[in-house]
Amino acid sequence: MAKLSRAARREAGQAYLFLAPSLIIFLVLVLMPVLFSGYLAFTNWNFTSGLKGIQWIGLKNFAKLHTDRNFNFALKNTFIYTATSVPMTLLIAMVFAYFLNGRVYCQKLIRTFVFIPYISNMVALALLFRCLFRSDGIINSMLTTNFGMEEGLKWMSSNDLNKIPVILLSTWAAVGYSMIVYMAAMQGIPESLYEAAAIDGASSHQVFWRITVPLISPTTFFLMIIRMIAVFKIFTSISVLSGDIVARGNISLIVKIYQDAFGNYKFGYASAEAWVLFIIIFAATLLQFWGKKKWVNE
Amino acid sequence: MKRRAAVNKAIWTIVIGALSILFVLPLIWMLSASLKPNYEVFNYPIQWIPSTFLWQNYTSIWTDAHMPFGLLYLNSIKIALITIVGKLLISAAAAYAFSKMRFPGKSAMFLCFLGSMMIPAQVTVLPRFVLFKSLGIYNTHFSLILPALFDVSAIFLLRQFYVAIPSDLSESAVIDGAGHFRIWIQIIVPLTKAPMASLAVLALVSSWNDYFNPLIFLVSPQKYTVSLGIRNYAADIYVNQGLAASVSALAPILILYIFCQKYFVQSIASSGIKG
Repeated sequence: MAKLSRAARREAGQAYLFLAPSLIIFLVLVLMPVLFSGYLAFTNWNFTSGLKGIQWIGLKNFAKLHTDRNFNFALKNTFIYTATSVPMTLLIAMVFAYFLNGRVYCQKLIRTFVFIPYISNMVALALLFRCLFRSDGIINSMLTTNFGMEEGLKWMSSNDLNKIPVILLSTWAAVGYSMIVYMAAMQGIPESLYEAAAIDGASSHQVFWRITVPLISPTTFFLMIIRMIAVFKIFTSISVLSGDIVARGNISLIVKIYQDAFGNYKFGYASAEAWVLFIIIFAATLLQFWGKKKWVNE
Repeated sequence: MKRRAAVNKAIWTIVIGALSILFVLPLIWMLSASLKPNYEVFNYPIQWIPSTFLWQNYTSIWTDAHMPFGLLYLNSIKIALITIVGKLLISAAAAYAFSKMRFPGKSAMFLCFLGSMMIPAQVTVLPRFVLFKSLGIYNTHFSLILPALFDVSAIFLLRQFYVAIPSDLSESAVIDGAGHFRIWIQIIVPLTKAPMASLAVLALVSSWNDYFNPLIFLVSPQKYTVSLGIRNYAADIYVNQGLAASVSALAPILILYIFCQKYFVQSIASSGIKG
């Protein structure tokens, strides 16, 4: 490195002072923990045995993941949550954003209604869903009274059905965010395109699918990745909906990590699981960079 | 033609408006059920307006002997306020260094910060748990505040605003003998009040709604935050009280939204980097 002049050295010193608080927290609470967690993933460590109890076991944790039935359920469920909730969220958000860009009255009010669940406390929303979906809850009353079903469904205890409240809840709470981002993106579409389409006699259906959807595809891609990463980390809704016992039907990766770490104090094993999640998120982020490049070039 | 367009618009307003009401209908049910006696909560067809308003559901959780709701509010407000002020200060200082100062290792450090955005909190939480236990800040509010102070997306957003401020403004201040600290506080910060307000709103919402961290780091009920505490109001037995607690948890953010809608929307539309 070239020798710095006195003034430059002074400025650098000051810059480090400006950065010091962020840097210290980054080093102590992010970088060190990541490295330590990476190390723990290769160990067997029951937290209660203290630091001396850490045992290096190589890749055994990762080998064990293959045969851990609950981990595989968690992985599978997390992918199901992503594959259902993300497209639903984006489609609903896109439709709302389309109409809220000047195609309906009372835009502010409608926007507020859709946005409110997004800023609401997830624990409160999940407690509410528990009331709606319990066996004598509102949803079952609706099904038996209005839709002629003989008896209500076991939304919570059936391993086939207990994913549904989770998916609905995470979609409901997420639409507001994507809608706002879409609205900003749609405002960027030149008005002249819509005017030209109107002159050519295009229906609003055609305008939506042929003009709006293709022109906001970079935003869709961006939101898809953001939402995917958010759903990979799904935890609160499931933890509160299921109470203390999470069944294999709706367990997610983070719920599994939480159970292994703080239920069984298997910190080594839980770290290995957390790193699997990290790698999945890392891959999604790389995909995002790749997509950004692709769209910028086109 | 114009009239037809207006009719069209009205029809779509009804359709989209009806769909949007579906988004708040569960919340309205919750509000109404939180004021009912327990045996009326699950009545169907839904009785939207309670026969009698049972305010007692609220007073009983707010005066609960073990965990009065006011205490949860105080804890959450305290954590949120310290987090917001600290995060804004620390992030703004870092953003200033990254945008207006020259120092060795600048771009490498910035890349490291950006890269750390990918790391899910669940990877760092176990080592943090171990560290906080050994430092003695486990089961204190600092265990929630400290990690939240470092926020890459806040640094990144502010840096973008700072870069857009022309440098001649600060250079002329340097000629007048002002140091970087004064330039930052007296020139840059006042020019970026709007993004700071958006970040404050974002920080408030994420702090208020956080559940994962309080669940791991807080054990004593008198230290609980709102998110963590509302689970304890026997939501399955006294459903009405559980729902009253949920309404109490939502209310502050929703009221704030009514007054600062602009900043809520801006925080998403401009940053677009937070999930």
